[in-house]
Amino acid sequence: MSDMTERMVRRMLGERSLVRLAVLAIAVIILFSILSDNFFTVIDFQSMGFQIAEVGLLSLAVMLSMLTGGIDLSIVSVANIAALVTAELFKGTDAASATGGKALLMTAAFILVGLAAGTACGVLNGLLITRIRITPILATLGTLQLLNGLAIIWTGGKAVYGMPNAFLNIGTGYIARVPAPVIVLVIAAVAAAVFVNRTGIGLRLQLVGANPTAARYSGLNNARVLMMTYISSAFLSSIAGILIAARSASANADYGASYVLLAIVIVVLGGVNPLGGYGTVTGVVLAAFVLQLVHSGFSQIGYSDFLYSIAQGGILIGVMALNTLSTRWRLSSRLAILNRWRRAEAPTAQPPSALAPPLPPGASAQSKEAERKP
Amino acid sequence: MTALVPALRRLPIYRLRGSNNEGVLILSIIVLSVIVGIVAPSFWRLSTLLNISSSSLENLVFAMGVLMVIISGGIDVSFMAIGIFAGYGVIVLTNHTGFGASSAWTSFAIAAGLGLGLGTLNAAAIAGLRLPTLIVTLGTQGIIRGAMLAYVGSKVIPDYPPGLDKLSTNYLVTATQGASSTRLSVLVIPAILICAVMSVLLRYTTLGRGIYAIGGDAESARRAGFPVFGIQVFIYLFAGLLAGVAGMMHVTQVRLANPYELVGGELDVIAAVVLGGASIFGGKGSVSGTVLGVVLISLIKNSLILLGVPGTWQRATVGLLLLIGVSAQALTASARRRNLDAMPETPA
Amino acid sequence: MVAREPLLVASGVSKRFGGVAALDHVTLEVRPGEVHCIVGENGSGKSTLIKVISGVETPDTGTITMDGTSLSRLSPRQAISLGIEVIFQDFSLFPNLTAAENIAMATYVAGGRRIVRPGSLRRLAAEVVRRIGVRLDLDSRVEDLSVADRQLTAICRALARDARVIFMDEPTTALTWREVQALFRVVESLKETGTALVFVSHKLDEVLRVSDRITVLRNGVVTVTGDVADFDRGSIIQAMTGRALTETSPASSIREREAPLLEVRQLGLRGSFHDVSFTVRPGEVVGVTGLLGSGRTEIAEALFGITPAHHGTVHVDGRPVRIRSVRDAIAAGIGYVPGDRLTQGVFLDQAISRNIIAGSLDRLLGRLNLIRRKQARETVEEAASELNIRMSSADDPVRSLSGGNQQRVVLGKWLARNPHILILNSPTVGVDVGSKHEILEMLRAKGREGLGVIVISDDVPELVAVCHRVLVVRRGRITDELVGDRLTEEVILRELAA
Repeated sequence: MSDMTERMVRRMLGERSLVRLAVLAIAVIILFSILSDNFFTVIDFQSMGFQIAEVGLLSLAVMLSMLTGGIDLSIVSVANIAALVTAELFKGTDAASATGGKALLMTAAFILVGLAAGTACGVLNGLLITRIRITPILATLGTLQLLNGLAIIWTGGKAVYGMPNAFLNIGTGYIARVPAPVIVLVIAAVAAAVFVNRTGIGLRLQLVGANPTAARYSGLNNARVLMMTYISSAFLSSIAGILIAARSASANADYGASYVLLAIVIVVLGGVNPLGGYGTVTGVVLAAFVLQLVHSGFSQIGYSDFLYSIAQGGILIGVMALNTLSTRWRLSSRLAILNRWRRAEAPTAQPPSALAPPLPPGASAQSKEAERKP
Repeated sequence: MTALVPALRRLPIYRLRGSNNEGVLILSIIVLSVIVGIVAPSFWRLSTLLNISSSSLENLVFAMGVLMVIISGGIDVSFMAIGIFAGYGVIVLTNHTGFGASSAWTSFAIAAGLGLGLGTLNAAAIAGLRLPTLIVTLGTQGIIRGAMLAYVGSKVIPDYPPGLDKLSTNYLVTATQGASSTRLSVLVIPAILICAVMSVLLRYTTLGRGIYAIGGDAESARRAGFPVFGIQVFIYLFAGLLAGVAGMMHVTQVRLANPYELVGGELDVIAAVVLGGASIFGGKGSVSGTVLGVVLISLIKNSLILLGVPGTWQRATVGLLLLIGVSAQALTASARRRNLDAMPETPA
Repeated sequence: MVAREPLLVASGVSKRFGGVAALDHVTLEVRPGEVHCIVGENGSGKSTLIKVISGVETPDTGTITMDGTSLSRLSPRQAISLGIEVIFQDFSLFPNLTAAENIAMATYVAGGRRIVRPGSLRRLAAEVVRRIGVRLDLDSRVEDLSVADRQLTAICRALARDARVIFMDEPTTALTWREVQALFRVVESLKETGTALVFVSHKLDEVLRVSDRITVLRNGVVTVTGDVADFDRGSIIQAMTGRALTETSPASSIREREAPLLEVRQLGLRGSFHDVSFTVRPGEVVGVTGLLGSGRTEIAEALFGITPAHHGTVHVDGRPVRIRSVRDAIAAGIGYVPGDRLTQGVFLDQAISRNIIAGSLDRLLGRLNLIRRKQARETVEEAASELNIRMSSADDPVRSLSGGNQQRVVLGKWLARNPHILILNSPTVGVDVGSKHEILEMLRAKGREGLGVIVISDDVPELVAVCHRVLVVRRGRITDELVGDRLTEEVILRELAA
């Protein structure tokens, strides 16, 4: 194993949440294999592949916004806008009947327009959050509703059909026996990972989420970072929207409402800290995979989607509870050591005033506020 | 701008603004009514008032619960799920066991109980484990709705228990216009009562003031001796109870038990509470502001219908309204902060 | 006349943190109706003593005796029920509630009352307010009140809880002269009711004026305690600093001929400071000192672009620069090590390496915005070795480091950029003695290399040890410049105390 791979593997093994996820994945597979005798043989990895891409992309979008300590609730509405723009363009130009090169050209062009439209929504979110300074929850809640409402007005509540085969192949076709959407997801995930971990903007994103005050004092442009975050989130959501439209051969203003909860479950399960500053793409993708396994398992056994919804909520709260409890336990036992060590310095290990109220290590007025939302 | 605000404050008219922007809301309602009234004179009829009141009923009760949560510094998106679970659950229960078929009171009591029980989920996770409120309530929304559709039933039920049937046709006021008549259900009385109770609770009890204290600064509240855990448990239990009652009201008014309703309409209520002056960061908010907020949103929806605007426009309008209202709040907050920065420096 | 029977006695209190004794057999005696001032420098143990007495910290040895009840350890709630109240710097008020509610609420909660009658609540508050003869807008939300009024609210709240002893930290810092007089009148009426007040204060003039007795702490030990009549400014300073250790200020390595690195002319920020002018020459270490609230931090943060100045000019290396944002400041070659390390300086849970490169990201980016890993690693290694950062791995979170090492990380962040001017705010707070020494030495060394350094501090020995010149700031203006013979601990303390 090369040195770099070894370091990467060691780091991943060190990530508690990743290890936990891997264990969970195995546990799920074993569990369902017991519950339904032919789980593993019948499990249709290929059909899973078609679905996982949509939710995976949406989860990556949520991850980006969560890394900065905020949240983007408008992902599904943005996805639908992108899908609708592309679909309406197809319908309007009667693209379904086009063939060959022309179809390919139109497909590519209209997809780009759709992506642009969706990404523009991200600019709206960014402006609301950075210029008008609305907190991300409220801002994206508002745009969720507004964009959804605009889509309903536009379509009159009806679905839009009429897409060319070239487009539908993206959602239902294969590339070397792998479902096309999975390829898209993998490319997007790799790009997201590089974006977050290797680029300057990605690092800035994490720093702003970890401590916006320190980021400011380090010379980072918080507003610009946040704007990029919400634009990127919208971009990923738009791709998801295109995939959804390609797979279902239609675009709809209300599709995928249940994806918001699922995306957040995946992100939290994947080890992203809702308060910002920490998270990995690997974790999110793995978590998406685990949830998809659960979904497949459920339908194998004959459990309805409603039960899946219960499972999602349960997993979400369960994981957060586990995180909190284990952190608190770790923190309280480490606290003694840490405190003794830190106080080996001057007693004024806190802000210079003589009577500053005692802060738990690392806490700040900033983190208190962030703690309240989401 | 910095010098303007303190000068403005001294104008007597500023007092009318109200501590939670109630003045602005009242003004908006009046202005809006006048505009709509000019364009569609049919606005100025009793039936309009009754329509607005009817459509506000259940949202008022939902909003009271949401208001409590928001003042305490949290946010709740599970209330609609709790509401429909309770409402639908009661109908199913009554149809199956015949229990409480004849008395609407029993139905409401069961619904309240269901809501209370479901509220314990939120209370445990938020008050007990101190998990972030948005994500927790998103999770409980999924759990509750899933449980309802999986275990209680997923079909629309047209059969109605006689007790509720009687209640649903019990009208307080009727306005007749030629052939058509608009009615206001007697349920408006409990709705108003609940608002009154909440107002008293928030203003005249240590529990209520404790909710504000927690929203202002949870740590200081703890230090000052407020039983923070107990208060938070109360908040989520009571919010659940109110949601249950509101859900029952909805099912009664609609005369149909449809388990797919309500969920998805959370924003209408949250927008009303936020527009009513409650700060999303907690510590501020009032019953009067929330009531005005609910009325404003109902007014807008009704106006749209009156003006002949297709129903598809409602969602976008409420969303836009929320964004405008919240933007205004954020911009004034920024202005005030800049104003404070010019004041003599505060230590550390 | 002040009664002789003590109200509160902290006797033989010791507290160690790790290997350092923050308090060593300290005894404090507070009598009813007296104003007792605790005086001491940073690190003298004042804050620890207060925390022990108010139950926030448990002492290793010693007892707290209040009204006859002796305890070797107490909880904050016990302290409050005994009548010991501490007014923290943030006042711990509820900004969204009215003054009346803040004042009276505690009694409601403590009394187990369920119903709140706004009328009676207000009357309770009004009664307390009247008792000490002040004017306070009880119906305003605390967030709308001035700092002085907030302080009054906090005092009234303590009184409403039947406080017998009220501790206050630097109570007159943010007050205007009028407000200070008003506060002293309040103090007088409090004394008449037998309530004792304990002030922690730097302002020796006020200490001498308002207190009945004084206790001076130095390095965790009580050096002297007694009636104020037995003291004067000189003797207090002597007690605070011990033997006059005037470290000779550093040999002048300033190249007098060279053009100034930084030239600040008539810098002003409404409400914070005005008419601030000074220069920094290459190789100089200029100190800026003043009491909390004097504007010293604001000047630094204006130069760094956090709260840009309204008027004045700044020239760096002879070129005029407009500093409207942090970016402008950094582009001009200015770096800033902030005063509050935990919230402003470091990203606690992020890796040390990330913390170090956080300030110079723009220089480490290659194509497609990708970070040049090798270059980043080299930057981190350079910083770590130059600053002697003791860590096990650069991937560890900064949280795992001691305060001194954390501060080195912050320094590393800025030195990685090679700034022309480095401004440091309270650079050695929360830093162990060894690190303190090294950091100061490093600053001096950097100075010799030509870096211009500005140190904002109220750690007097540190200022004397490392600075060539010290500017004294009071109420937003530079009132004095100390250099050469006048640059001694005594002079600085006297200036601060005036």
